[in-house]
Order: sequence, then C-alpha cells, then structure tokens
Amino acid sequence: MNRGKMAATGEEAAAMDSISRVPPAHPTVLSLGGKSEPRGETSEISTEDQVVPAPKKPPGNSDSGVETAEEAVEPAEPDINQLCTDMFDKMAVFLQGELTGTCEDYRLLENMNKLTSLKYMEMKDISINISRNLLDLNHKYASLQPYLDQINQIEEQVSSLEQAAYKLDTYSKKLEAKFKKLEKR
Amino acid sequence: MASTESQPRFGQSVKGLLSDKVGSCSGDVIALTRQVLKGSRSQELLGQAARNMVIQEDAILHSEDSLRKMSIITTHLQYQQEAIQKNVEHSKNLQDQLRHLLK
Repeated sequence: MNRGKMAATGEEAAAMDSISRVPPAHPTVLSLGGKSEPRGETSEISTEDQVVPAPKKPPGNSDSGVETAEEAVEPAEPDINQLCTDMFDKMAVFLQGELTGTCEDYRLLENMNKLTSLKYMEMKDISINISRNLLDLNHKYASLQPYLDQINQIEEQVSSLEQAAYKLDTYSKKLEAKFKKLEKR
Repeated sequence: MASTESQPRFGQSVKGLLSDKVGSCSGDVIALTRQVLKGSRSQELLGQAARNMVIQEDAILHSEDSLRKMSIITTHLQYQQEAIQKNVEHSKNLQDQLRHLLK
C-alpha cells in the first residue's frame, strides 16, 4: 500500500525535495538522521498510514545490493502556490506596517520642522523691517537734533524773558506806589 | 546534505516539518524586525523630539507676538517723528522773534 503511494513522479519528488531543504541555522531540525549518512543509502520508514519521505535515490546512481526506495510524496495541493503567495504578501504587509510607524514619526517631525522654519522666516522678515525702520528713525532723530537744541535755547530765552517781565512788573508797581505818594503830597 | 535534512522525525511528516519551519522562520523575521526597530530607539527619540517641539511652540508664538508689537510701536514712532519734523520747522521763526523781543 505504501509502495503504491510512493509512486511519485520524479519531478514532484524533486519539487518536494527542494521545498524540504532546511537551512543549516537550526541544528535541531537538521539532526534527524545523521549528517554522515550517504546519499545513496536508503531506509524504508513506514509509520501508520502516513506517507513518509525517504532519501531520494538519484536515477543515475546504480549501487548494487542496496535497497532503494523512491521518495513518497503526497500530491501537491493545487492552491499551494496561491497560499504561499498569500503568506508572503501578508508578511510583506505586516513588515511594511511595522516600518510605517517610524516613517510616520519622521514625517510628523519633518512637517513640524517645515512649519517652524516658515514661522521663523516670517519672524525674520518682521525683524528686518523693524531694524530698517529703527535705523531710519535714528537718522531722522539725529537730523532733528539741531532743532531740539534750538528748542532748548528758546526755552532758556523764554525763561529769561519771563524773568525780565517779572522785574518789569515789580518796577512798574514801585513806580505806581511812588507816583501815588507824590500825588498825595 | 539536503536529503539527510529532510528525514522526518519520528511521527512527523515532511509536510508538518515544513509548516513548522515556515512558521518559525516567519516568527524569526518578525522578531528580527521588532528588535531592529527597538534597538534603533527611533520611537523614543522621535517622540522626545516631537514633545520638545511642542514645548517650544509656545515660546515661538510669544516671540512672534512680541515682534509684531514692536513693528506696530516702530510705526507709531515714525508717525510721531513726522509730526515733530513738521512742528520744529516753526522754531526758527520763534527764535528770531524772541531775539528781537529780548534786545
């Protein structure tokens, strides 16, 4: 019965063999039957009703006196390729999602930096205008300085005029008093 | 080597081994990706940078407000300077009149 199942084609056996090749990073999986077992040696392992693979004997190898057995494989599911593609697609989507989080953080920071730089450019323009206006104002106030000196002089002159007016007022009052005195005599 | 590696464990088919292997490889890839992301500390660094930026935003807005007020004050100063300029041109006449008065 098992031999009937084991009648797999050479191509399917080769495909299954290539799929079942395990990378050497996992020695636990590798240590199944010993690495030193030669390729031509065979062993018929039959467990219950399961189809068990056996080492494939290459068709060109003609060791006499050695029992050979062809690899027993189940017929491949018709949609195994589709399932594999689906699996890898979903794995890619998952990894993409994992990396997208960091990308989004970077994008957020990039946008924040862009807005801040725009803000700073506006502030720079405002500052340039303010400095230019203040420079003009300083020059204009410097040009007003002679006039301000004149105003100071005017203020001094007005105060001396006021003093003179007070003196005149006092003198005129004295004169009036004297005149009245003389008039009474 | 490939043929010896494909020898099944007792009671397990190649198909079962294969699916286990695929599952473990997927898990390894996922763990590797997560470890790379965790080891780069990009999440916490970027989060900290964003938090610092948010804290700074208040200071930036206050600075902008102050600058705008300064520009308004500068404009008012310009208006005042123009008014002073107009009025001080009369001071020469005033000074001549006062000189005559005080003679």
